[in-house]
Amino acid sequence: MGDPRNRQYTNGEITVFWIPSKCIHATTCFRELIEVFNPGRRPWVNMEGAPTRRISEVVNKCPTQAIIWKHNSDLTSEELASQRHITKNEENPETITENITQPEKPEIVENSTRVKPANIRIMKDGPIVVEGKFKVIGADNRELKPTQMTSFCRCGDSRSMPYCDGTHRKVGFTD
Amino acid sequence: MAMDDNNALLKVFANGPLEVSGSFRVVNFAGKIIVNEGPVYLCRCGGSSNKPFCDGTHKSNGFPD
Repeated sequence: MGDPRNRQYTNGEITVFWIPSKCIHATTCFRELIEVFNPGRRPWVNMEGAPTRRISEVVNKCPTQAIIWKHNSDLTSEELASQRHITKNEENPETITENITQPEKPEIVENSTRVKPANIRIMKDGPIVVEGKFKVIGADNRELKPTQMTSFCRCGDSRSMPYCDGTHRKVGFTD
Repeated sequence: MAMDDNNALLKVFANGPLEVSGSFRVVNFAGKIIVNEGPVYLCRCGGSSNKPFCDGTHKSNGFPD
């Protein structure tokens, strides 16, 4: 079975699945739709916060598929079963625990379809989010697993160095 | 060209900063490009007084990886 930290949320029409192990804290979800995805709240996903179409649109933008969605009519019986289970137990996603104040919204600087330099975004009080074409060489001089997007720790306290694991919120890292 | 046109290179320094070179741009949280030419060194220890850049503080705050 899946990771016990995984969660699912529904509005009766669609179900959003949250797979924390895939999250790189790119913060796309809550920058786009804080009404639904609010890491400062429990539960952190409020399916009543926006229309279904808007929710699915933002979920589709998650760069790592840490959140995905399905029509409820497409759910497997297993998924339906765990949905009933979840409604009884208040969830507590581990990696997202503290308040987010005003989420910043960096502008997309250029047309994203053409070949362009790697985009390295400094997130306020958060990680360095890198997108585009890039290579990462680790502290041991070996190339790390290639990805299209990743986020590096800036607070100094991540337990999965050099990557962000969300600890900056726990330690109250500020710029 | 010093390296592949379309690639940025990010190098993690042990107990130190992240070196960025190649083809990239660093965008701050206001959405502004603050630097697009390398190499630049981004703070990883959380202690720099010149964030997001490294100012050498990792040496004095005992930043371990």
